[in-house]
Amino acid sequence: MSKHAIHAAAYLGPEGFGNDLTGLRPWPAPLAGPFQRGELDGLHWSLFSASDPSRFLRMDLMCRLGYLAAELLDVNFDALPDASRDRLGVCVESFTGSLDTDIRFAQTPRPSIFAYTLPSTVIGEICIRFRLKGPVLSLIAPDTSGAGALTEATEWLREGGAERVLCLGLEGLNRATAEAINLPEYLRPPAWHAAALLLGHEENTPRARPLPSGSLVEVCRRSVGMPEPT
Amino acid sequence: MDSAVNKIAVAIAGCGAVAATGLGLAPLQRAVAANASALRRREAVLGKTCQSIVAGFVPEEIVESLRAADALHAGSRAYLFAAAAAREAVANAGAIWVAVPPPRRGLVLSTTKANIEALDQLVRQQPVVAIAQRQLQPALLAADLAAACDCRGPVQCVSAACISGLLALQQGAALLRRGLAEVVLVAGVDLISQFVLSGFHTLKSLDPDGCHPFDQARAGLSLGEGAGAILLARRELVAAPRLLLTGTGTSNDANHLTGPSRDGSGLALAMRRALAQAGRLPGQIDFINAHGTGTPFNDHMEALALRSIFGEPVPPFNGSKGIFGHTLGAAGVLETILCVNALQTRMLPGTPRLRARDPVAPESLLAEPRAAARLERVLKVNCGFGGTNAALILEREQP
Repeated sequence: MSKHAIHAAAYLGPEGFGNDLTGLRPWPAPLAGPFQRGELDGLHWSLFSASDPSRFLRMDLMCRLGYLAAELLDVNFDALPDASRDRLGVCVESFTGSLDTDIRFAQTPRPSIFAYTLPSTVIGEICIRFRLKGPVLSLIAPDTSGAGALTEATEWLREGGAERVLCLGLEGLNRATAEAINLPEYLRPPAWHAAALLLGHEENTPRARPLPSGSLVEVCRRSVGMPEPT
Repeated sequence: MDSAVNKIAVAIAGCGAVAATGLGLAPLQRAVAANASALRRREAVLGKTCQSIVAGFVPEEIVESLRAADALHAGSRAYLFAAAAAREAVANAGAIWVAVPPPRRGLVLSTTKANIEALDQLVRQQPVVAIAQRQLQPALLAADLAAACDCRGPVQCVSAACISGLLALQQGAALLRRGLAEVVLVAGVDLISQFVLSGFHTLKSLDPDGCHPFDQARAGLSLGEGAGAILLARRELVAAPRLLLTGTGTSNDANHLTGPSRDGSGLALAMRRALAQAGRLPGQIDFINAHGTGTPFNDHMEALALRSIFGEPVPPFNGSKGIFGHTLGAAGVLETILCVNALQTRMLPGTPRLRARDPVAPESLLAEPRAAARLERVLKVNCGFGGTNAALILEREQP
């Protein structure tokens, strides 16, 4: 039986951003401080590319995290044949879900925000961007490890439900949003991050590597060369 | 039975419900048999004004009775509804549940917003009791529900818009298939809250007169609230004659965030995936429970998807949201319970609140309930924001 392999990995967090090819890069100086404090309004597409897609500007925080992490994988999904793209699953897990947008919507209901008050909306944005047809799954977890999404992704590959799986662990809550309603600490993520893995079967390509043990976030952090947390 | 079905099928061991129809399966079954609607008109704050809406509210006397019986969770309607539905499903399963040790019992919760009323209160700086605040986080609500039901096996929480319920059933079946549990309690719950009402109001998705699925003059949806619970079990734990969950499938339209694809191809893909997993052909499906929100685009898209899979004639199908409204994260579970009921009673449910079928809908749309000449396999579908689609197949095990 074919073993599971990482085809690409990416990570964004307070420490920086990168993928398995580039390694971790630091944020530009004006953003590093705010990002470390959990002030995430500066998280824009323009950090990665000069051409801002108009969709990105409409997205909420969770969708931005997911979209950026998927882009940061640096995988040319468009080059996949339709048959393969139709067998590429998307699995997302989060503790925080859409809470940042939920709070903003509850404060000021606007139709353009409401569609983003679902933790699964990020799957829609990613599927539109890369023309993916699923299968799809959106999990809410009691922790921020992304372990459940990684387990599901490997099971899909083992059971034949998908040929490849884009697996995402997304956590983000603007500090100001949480503080505006005195949200209890235990309902806030301890830190923000976006971790993305493209998983598939073992392939003889330079980028493919065996899937090590560990949670989704741990695997992504290791893949970009970050040291193990002490 | 073919080998594909043998490999993945799991059995339905019990069901429970709380909805606008009332507390328990019995009032729901009576409403289905009578083709009755439990949608009611009520005043609600929408935006900055108070307006009259038609929706499927759980009757206040039921909420009060649940609160009186569980003071600890009185501030969390989401918990009260889910726990009541779960208790009924477990009670219906009887000895099956009792025989399985707690570490081999799993739970999967489906919800879009969990106890969202707590957020409304936090934003308005109103006092919120700790448990209601905690259960704003869906996975913590799932954990509390699992503890109350003595499920010490795997616990998951699915939140994927209006396909959450079918996804939760898919996940429950997967936990059984992977040998991680002997039984899995799948519960779906959502509330009509200020948050949810405001959202659908701002999108202009609500029909001021209440929903009319597949009607030529349909103008939007009606929200509903409540919970459904289905106990899934390894097939050999349930005595024959058994009802089996044999296939599930999901897809994404990759088209639009809040509107369905115009050609129904995404939903058709989910149906094809479910049929493939069940090892069935379209011609083996005897009845379909549609998503049927009553919005012009959704029902049109579904009609196209059904025709693309089944051709003509499409098997008999109905829309159930005229009974208890669109219950969002609970919809997939509650509507699957209606499919279980149809298989058990061999009665096809009708489409309450239908006045005149839209010609775009296949002629096999069931306006009224009727006895089924043949009812062995049922297809259930749901669609949701973000372009998500899901399908599930239930069938009567053949001797």
